[in-house]
Amino acid sequence: MKHPWTWRRVNRAVHRDAGYLVAGLTLLYAISGVAVNHRADWNPSWSIAPETRRFDPLPVTDRDTMAASLVTALSLPGPPRASFRRSPERIELYYEGWTVDADVTAGVATLTRPRERPVLREANYLHLNEPKGVWTWFADVYGVLLGTLAITGLFVLRGRTGLAGRGKWLVLAGLLPAIAFLLLRR
Amino acid sequence: MRRATATLLTLAAIATAAPTLAAETAYGSGVGKAQAVKVSELMGNPDRYVGKAVRVEGLVTDVCARRGCWMELASDKEFQTIKIKVDDGVIVFPLDAKGKVATAEGVFTRIDVPVERVAEMKRHEAEEKGVPFDPGSVKGPEVVYRIQGTGAVIR
Repeated sequence: MKHPWTWRRVNRAVHRDAGYLVAGLTLLYAISGVAVNHRADWNPSWSIAPETRRFDPLPVTDRDTMAASLVTALSLPGPPRASFRRSPERIELYYEGWTVDADVTAGVATLTRPRERPVLREANYLHLNEPKGVWTWFADVYGVLLGTLAITGLFVLRGRTGLAGRGKWLVLAGLLPAIAFLLLRR
Repeated sequence: MRRATATLLTLAAIATAAPTLAAETAYGSGVGKAQAVKVSELMGNPDRYVGKAVRVEGLVTDVCARRGCWMELASDKEFQTIKIKVDDGVIVFPLDAKGKVATAEGVFTRIDVPVERVAEMKRHEAEEKGVPFDPGSVKGPEVVYRIQGTGAVIR
């Protein structure tokens, strides 16, 4: 026996399928959301662990000579891809994916190797819309689907647990922190 | 089931590679429209260029570790750099751009920083670089020249 396509049945079907479609990206965005919320305390996309090394002070000469001397002093794996002097005694060497920043007169060098945080880097890349272009459109469609999911979700159930019952109070409870925060902070 | 797993793994691999695949990456509106100027020329004669759209090229010597909201390019003259500042989130420069060559364009800007804000600015810069703030570095009001970036290409 076929069930008639009532608006509530269509609503349920839309809610179900929209839910399936956005599940993966919502999870990814949720993880990224928590990560970037705390970016004042950490870098959510990159792990940076500088390593300090000491060496016998070197003479301040020209950039190429200083770079070559530093490679030897620190036993670095060959000449750098590029180098730069920020001041006469400070030289920076650039390798593929890592850098060396040295004060040759003080004999102190900092090796920095930023590493992408697995999953988080990709999640943040998409969540913060770094790719722009086509991804902007995908993200817009995702936003519309998420809105659809929220609205259809309100009307999935009827009766005591539906919107007319305790549902309305839960919707209100969900909005309340944001409203209270805005009222108190502005 | 196996096919579904393989598809998922392929998608995951593509997604993982996405931020790092391209050898040359364009940011924002790219480059090509503005007048090409050497960094040494900009910094040597700043008043001639303030408010104008310029294009510069140089080695990327630093990138904002927090938000990727600026990068610093080496000048053609030693010990000199220029900062390319972009609006937070509009363009995000990757941290691994250091040591690559970039072409960037935007509006050359002069910022007069009053003495009471210099300490705040330097503290913020130190935080971004993860180094201790030296209060002794504040010596008076400062004039900062930088490019308000609209686009860049890093290779």
